[in-house]
Amino acid sequence: MIELETYVQIYPFALGAVFAIFLIAGYSLFREKNDLHRLLLTDLFEILVLAIIALLATDLAEALILPGMVVGISELLVISEIYIVKEKLYTNVGYHIRPQLEVMKSAPPYYTAALVLIGIILSGFLGGVVAAVGILFYLIGLGHHERFTLIETISGYAWALWVVSFLVYFILPDYWFFAIMLSATAVLVKVAAKLSLIGTMQGERHV
Amino acid sequence: MSNTLFGGETLLATIPFADIVWYLSPYTLLLFSFAVIFTILAIISRPERYVDTAFGTDGYYLKEIPLDQMRFQRFMAIACGLAAMGASVTGDIFNFTLFSSLVGICCIGIVSGVKNKYVLQAAYEYGIVIMIAGVPLFGGAALIAATTGTLSIFELSAARALGAAVTAPLIAKLLLIVGVMGEGMAPFYILKADIARAQGAPYILNVCLIPVLVFLRVIEIVLTI
Repeated sequence: MIELETYVQIYPFALGAVFAIFLIAGYSLFREKNDLHRLLLTDLFEILVLAIIALLATDLAEALILPGMVVGISELLVISEIYIVKEKLYTNVGYHIRPQLEVMKSAPPYYTAALVLIGIILSGFLGGVVAAVGILFYLIGLGHHERFTLIETISGYAWALWVVSFLVYFILPDYWFFAIMLSATAVLVKVAAKLSLIGTMQGERHV
Repeated sequence: MSNTLFGGETLLATIPFADIVWYLSPYTLLLFSFAVIFTILAIISRPERYVDTAFGTDGYYLKEIPLDQMRFQRFMAIACGLAAMGASVTGDIFNFTLFSSLVGICCIGIVSGVKNKYVLQAAYEYGIVIMIAGVPLFGGAALIAATTGTLSIFELSAARALGAAVTAPLIAKLLLIVGVMGEGMAPFYILKADIARAQGAPYILNVCLIPVLVFLRVIEIVLTI
């Protein structure tokens, strides 16, 4: 646990580190000529945005990181979509970009288990995002048949639980702790289920 | 506290809106009305047709803009207008940065609606620029929050008017301006891709004018706080 005064002393140095990383990332982007690698390098800037906001280290920062992350991810999605269209990396059936790599077969179970575990410990929206990244990695890495009905159903029930806990906040404010536990779990399941479907649906029959 | 179920004061808790409010002044209202006008123009106007002259004859071709491209660009132009409306009247600096990022994303959408290799290349470069511009944009907002402890334009301007010891630092204001410049670079890439007339018109109008609105607003913010 860092004292407030120590943190105030550290803050300018942390900003300096961010600036140094910005220069390094900018230089690498300037040197790189391959479009795909430049796309990957822009992710560095996105992480820097999150780092600058996180350096605030207050609960305000926690509230601001989420929209910042959403904006960054949507920018990244836009650019990669343009790249896919520009380089004609699609077929009429769907995207056709699953490379055959050994690491995509061996790594997913371990990474997924670790990420889902961390997600459950974190709980809430953030935990849901972390767990969803794990599940997404598993689905993209190992491939799958598209039978998502179960995930959809679980997600629906989680959503209903979330609404119930939201009502408890207002109608029975005395039971706020129960409501917090309920909504944290429900949002975890809901976000994990929904986010893990992004990009994995490729238009098979059972969707 | 006793549990007064269904009847009593704890039935509905109210949460005040704190400092995320509108910032209404003649200037911002003017910017808002411009954004509304541009959006309405984008809704009611039809895409321009591409005219190709056949050499050696008097003939010419009229190229049809596909319906799905027109729909996509119109949707993006409307979204861009909504983002500009939000950016012009918001009273919160972080909201402003989010709205200006949204303007950038929508501009990319309008440009990349044209399925042409060179246009897509220009849109791609522009996308990389707005990713980089995100760092100074959010960095400026974060620095203002870190030094003054608030993001509300009302409170910042009030503190400055009262002569507070800590106001928004100059470097944060400059970063904010640089960020908005990066997000609003779209007109340069339109010239680069050469879609100012057919293929992109009239939705390109929004891409050219709405970053100007956002830029006017950031100047106002920087002069106020």
